[in-house]
Amino acid sequence: MIEVKDMKKKFGRKSVLKGVSFTAEKGEITCVIGINGVGKTTILNAVMNLTPLNGGQILIDGEKINKHSYEKVTFIPDAIIMQPSMTIREAMQFMADFYDSWNQKRATELLAFFKLKEHEKINNLSKGNRAKVNLLLGLALDVDYLLMDEPFSGIDIFTREQIAEVFTSHLVEDRGVIITTHEISDIEHLIDKSVLLDDGVVVKEFHTEDMRETEGKSIVDVMREVYQP
Amino acid sequence: MNRFVKLVNFELSRFMKVYLVLIAMTVIVQVAGVIVKANGYMADANKAMYEDMLSQEQFLEKYGQMAFIDVARSLWFMGPITICVAALIFYVFIIWYRDWLGKNTFIYRLLMLPTARLNIYVSKMITIFLMVLGLVSVQLIFLPLENNVLKWMVPTDFRSDMTVSQIINWKYLSMLVPQTFSEFVLYYGAGFMALTVVSTAILFERSFKWKGIIAGIIYIAITVLIFIWPALLVFIMGRDFLYPLEIVGLETAMGIIVTAMSIWVGNYLLNKKITV
Repeated sequence: MIEVKDMKKKFGRKSVLKGVSFTAEKGEITCVIGINGVGKTTILNAVMNLTPLNGGQILIDGEKINKHSYEKVTFIPDAIIMQPSMTIREAMQFMADFYDSWNQKRATELLAFFKLKEHEKINNLSKGNRAKVNLLLGLALDVDYLLMDEPFSGIDIFTREQIAEVFTSHLVEDRGVIITTHEISDIEHLIDKSVLLDDGVVVKEFHTEDMRETEGKSIVDVMREVYQP
Repeated sequence: MNRFVKLVNFELSRFMKVYLVLIAMTVIVQVAGVIVKANGYMADANKAMYEDMLSQEQFLEKYGQMAFIDVARSLWFMGPITICVAALIFYVFIIWYRDWLGKNTFIYRLLMLPTARLNIYVSKMITIFLMVLGLVSVQLIFLPLENNVLKWMVPTDFRSDMTVSQIINWKYLSMLVPQTFSEFVLYYGAGFMALTVVSTAILFERSFKWKGIIAGIIYIAITVLIFIWPALLVFIMGRDFLYPLEIVGLETAMGIIVTAMSIWVGNYLLNKKITV
């Protein structure tokens, strides 16, 4: 389980996160929802120790993040995080060189699934294909948790559908996923748990299925209540 | 191969194309310099002897014999070395900023590697250091060749032969190619220390943005003060206050302290303060 406890973050004098707490379980897809600038990316960066916090604690299976955690949890940001001059093959080789958890068989499977060509340079790929490469490099690691930042940001509908398909496949099965997005429609049916952020705090945290059963509301309904009262 | 070695290998490969161009440029320009300088000298000799009717002895008395040091003092020889030094100094900054700036977000990947972040820091330092040693080695390898080119082009009577060790004894080259092991440790140790100080200052900037620029400058000032403290002591207390060997010992100790401190602070910043 990933536990975010009382996370606080300031940028200059502005408090972006004012004590955010939530948990994300293995085997569940947890969606962190909020309008632009609410601090969704900062939360994921902080979980991966890519930005310092002004307060709070993050635990991954009860432990603070350390170098071994990167074999257990991976982060797929919304921009390509490999050298643009690399080919896809070189990027995969880089991952294989550094990560014990790299699963070459799964990487090959993903390559075919996304219809990507190994010899293509990342530099020459479209935005959609870069997003696919990012996903490939993250999903091909045998990790327990995946963090995904705005995976649908700025990509076409067909690529969105393809990426959404990944969530229902064995590629994500049994893993804990934290996804941030404000474009909920493509994956609403896949989300197990929603965490709604506003003004630096969690304003609502609920299991999607429970909300649907008890109150008859979808995530979008709850979002309307929270963000457009 | 452990991850640290893989990181060094990776960092080396990232600069390899530019590095090979630098090596090729150095060799080509220096060899061309030998040819141009030797031709120039022989043209002067021919003009003096066949047009101005000077005897060989008179020419040599007037102009002297040509030695490799005449080439080494020229822009042909020192120019490429200066360009290589400038390129490597520039690369000390690029090796960090290339992972952050523009559309490049490779720093995400580097920081998320399942290895100690200290390895990222040290691998970049070692990469620069190996590149410096590599360029010096290339220079040493090609010096005898360039020396021989001069011998092929200038007849024995017109030249004063120098051995490679005599050439590298020349004041500027002796900085690049120290004569003794202790000189090597002192010169290259000081270079490595400067490398770690600048890298840590860059990490201050990367961690605290514009406030980090001030912090970085203050950090550099502090390290300079620590390093020159023994020399300052002698300056204030007088020349007789310390023996030369004591000054060298103290400077070495200060250098080790500054290097260790820079690596420690750099590691702390990478682990606790860095932001992508």
